[in-house]
Amino acid sequence: MSYQVTIEPTGEVIEVEEGQTILAAALRQGVWLPFACGHGTCATCKCTLLDGYVEHGDASPFALMDMEREEGKLLACCATPESDLVIEADIDVDPDFAGYLVEDYQAEVAAIEPLSPTIVEVRLKLDRSMQFQAGQYVNIALPKVDGSRAFSIANPPSIDDEVTLHVRLVPGGAATSYIHNELKVGDSVDLSGPYGQFFVRTSDDKDTLFIAGGSGLSSPESMILDMLENGSTKQIYLFQGARNVAELYHREKFEALEQEHDNFHYIPALNEPAADDNWQGFTGFVHEAAESHFEGKFAGHKAYLCGPPLMIDAAITSLMRGRLFEDDIHMEKFLTAADGSSEITRSALFKRI
Amino acid sequence: MSAKKLNLKDKYRLLTRDLDWDFSYEDRKDAFPFEEFEGIKITDWDKWEDPFRLTMDAYWKYQAEKEKKLYAIYDAFSQNNGHLNVSDARYVNAIKIFLTAVSPGELAAHSGFAFTGRQMGGIGARIAAQMQSIDELRHIQTQIHAMSHYNKFFDGFDEFSHMHDRVWYISVVKSFFDDARSAGPFEFMVAIGFSFEYVLTNLLFVPFMSGAAYNGDMATVTFGFSAQSDEARHMTLGLEIIKFLLEQHEDNVPIVQKWIDKWLWRGYRILTVVAMMMDYMLPQKVMSWKEAWELYFEQAGGALFKDLERYGIKMPDYTDLIKAEKEHLSHQAWWTFYTNSQATAFHTWIPSDEELDWLSEKYPESFDKYYRPRWELAKEMAEKGERYYNEGLPQLCQTCQIPMIYTDVQNDPRDIVYRSTKYQGERFHFCSDQCQHIFENEPEKYVHAWLPVHQIFQGNCGGPGGLEKVMDYYKLDVGKANMDYVGSPDEERWKNWKGVA
Repeated sequence: MSYQVTIEPTGEVIEVEEGQTILAAALRQGVWLPFACGHGTCATCKCTLLDGYVEHGDASPFALMDMEREEGKLLACCATPESDLVIEADIDVDPDFAGYLVEDYQAEVAAIEPLSPTIVEVRLKLDRSMQFQAGQYVNIALPKVDGSRAFSIANPPSIDDEVTLHVRLVPGGAATSYIHNELKVGDSVDLSGPYGQFFVRTSDDKDTLFIAGGSGLSSPESMILDMLENGSTKQIYLFQGARNVAELYHREKFEALEQEHDNFHYIPALNEPAADDNWQGFTGFVHEAAESHFEGKFAGHKAYLCGPPLMIDAAITSLMRGRLFEDDIHMEKFLTAADGSSEITRSALFKRI
Repeated sequence: MSAKKLNLKDKYRLLTRDLDWDFSYEDRKDAFPFEEFEGIKITDWDKWEDPFRLTMDAYWKYQAEKEKKLYAIYDAFSQNNGHLNVSDARYVNAIKIFLTAVSPGELAAHSGFAFTGRQMGGIGARIAAQMQSIDELRHIQTQIHAMSHYNKFFDGFDEFSHMHDRVWYISVVKSFFDDARSAGPFEFMVAIGFSFEYVLTNLLFVPFMSGAAYNGDMATVTFGFSAQSDEARHMTLGLEIIKFLLEQHEDNVPIVQKWIDKWLWRGYRILTVVAMMMDYMLPQKVMSWKEAWELYFEQAGGALFKDLERYGIKMPDYTDLIKAEKEHLSHQAWWTFYTNSQATAFHTWIPSDEELDWLSEKYPESFDKYYRPRWELAKEMAEKGERYYNEGLPQLCQTCQIPMIYTDVQNDPRDIVYRSTKYQGERFHFCSDQCQHIFENEPEKYVHAWLPVHQIFQGNCGGPGGLEKVMDYYKLDVGKANMDYVGSPDEERWKNWKGVA
């Protein structure tokens, strides 16, 4: 049994298990809410209840006073839902967020093509068009797989009647195994979307760099295609990380784009090139490629990161040491079954990263 | 089309917009004379993110409601003779320390935040600091009121404010806040707002408040909860200031690092008294100091410093020393107070056999080897009527003002650490390398420190004529408020109330 909690003003939706606090569920699902003590005494996580019923749990009567309970306040670190909820938290809506409605779609598998030894491209034809922002993702329900799985959309929003996904085979991952081994052209799947706060901040005029690792190329591919189609004049840098040449997919595509557009720069990085790769490009991790290209100085840019948690973590460190901070770093972390669900002790220093 | 719904941030900005002055005919620099002298570079105050969004109107409404609730509980506590419900009268000595040593710190913080609330150039930062300043004033007031009930029944509370400027161990806390308040606005914010209120606060308040809860002290628990509901703002302000300074200019990074190094050390030294309170003074124990340090600093602080590393800030290199000291800290402190309790405003005692066993279990590396034998000896001597008091006055560290009680825990824990340096022909003494470095970095700030022991020897504490004069100067009731708990008027009254002979 779980409840859906919609968090305004961003409209993000999280699933909260019976007895789980709103804060615990939000942080686990990558939705940041303000918090500090985590046990109902400091009131940093105070939210307004707009619709539904909650149990206030161990909220201290000083941190959440009676009059506040009557006014519909709650502490996210203690409150557990007793129905589906809509709450308003003290978080900011990004002015560039379009807020396209999340809807359910039926899709048919139009094509499945290998991109690399571990990644396939899946093209899904939608039953109708879907408005989304480049960088957002869809949730897909698959037969024989409990729950739904999130996959970023790799095609630009100008192609609105299909979604293209890049799916890496995760050892032990039920959904990715199903997609790689059992899914066939013509199969029908249910999906919903678009979701996520990962999109290009078009109101910002700074030059833009993308750091992508593995199948995390999907969102940046959509975002870059979208920017170029719309005639963006910003300098756009794509750093693509892969193990070796075989894993470095869509290289020709981006090399061609680089030829066509003076403002697009493509920098692939391989961390373990094979002996017969004859690799002439950057050898090392993708964040090191970015450091080397910008000589460790990133101030004045916008950065978008997409890929596995370790890559994101290393890239954030490089960017911050190069004096690019939270406001200008946006990311989509690809968490998989292999990353487990272990609680990571984190400080309250950063909101989104 | 309906207007787009404003989020809280925009609402707050609209409500507070234009609260700042424009400087049309005066130089802005004259209005904020301290903004540059610390070397901090602020390039754009607009990058300041309000750490909380509270209008003055809402602030007063909330605070008034908290006060009503708090004082209703105080009244009930008082009418029900709440002091009779504490675990044991020995416990009350922990809150005597709180009132004499911690509460005046709230007042000092009040004045410090009022200063930064005037001197920082950004309006958002000023308002946040002003609200915290008012909170701190509320905290000392509610603490005094909470303790006032105990003052009717126990010795040692009544002269806390007189003692604050005079008594030897209380000068430790006083000098800490004086050091912070006499710094510039940004150092104060890093010292108190960040290092103390954010990084170390859980090690000060949680032990006292859980200690109160475990020992039946409803009044203290309640003001603890009431104060903690303000701490949200204090903690987020502490975090925002550190992020803001580090992101504004890279030249700020080494300055902030130096301040963090200094203030975490100074704050940690103060926590010595908390360590002792947790391990020795609570009849019902919450956890050991060592466990608290591991939980609140090594784990939580570790995660914080991992994040700060991205700004180029490093965990101070002395944390290994603190890790080693956690086995020794509380034992050295309680021994010091036990052997000098003819000059304290609270009682001391020899741990019971049960308590000694608890300490042996919690401190397997150090207690049986270095400290238990001392207590066994003290017990033997006391039983023979030879209760040991230290007749001399201790040497104090020039920086932290704590007696030189710390030992060389990383080499031989039996050796006292003595450090000294010469400045302008005069020799100054320190309890540690860290305190020496703090001195050497700003010697002029510490050469004239009011060191209680020096002042006694100079005849400035009641004039020449021995310890008795000093006790009068402290307004300390010798034999009543101090020395052994066993045989004290506090114990006698407690036994009467409880009907034990």
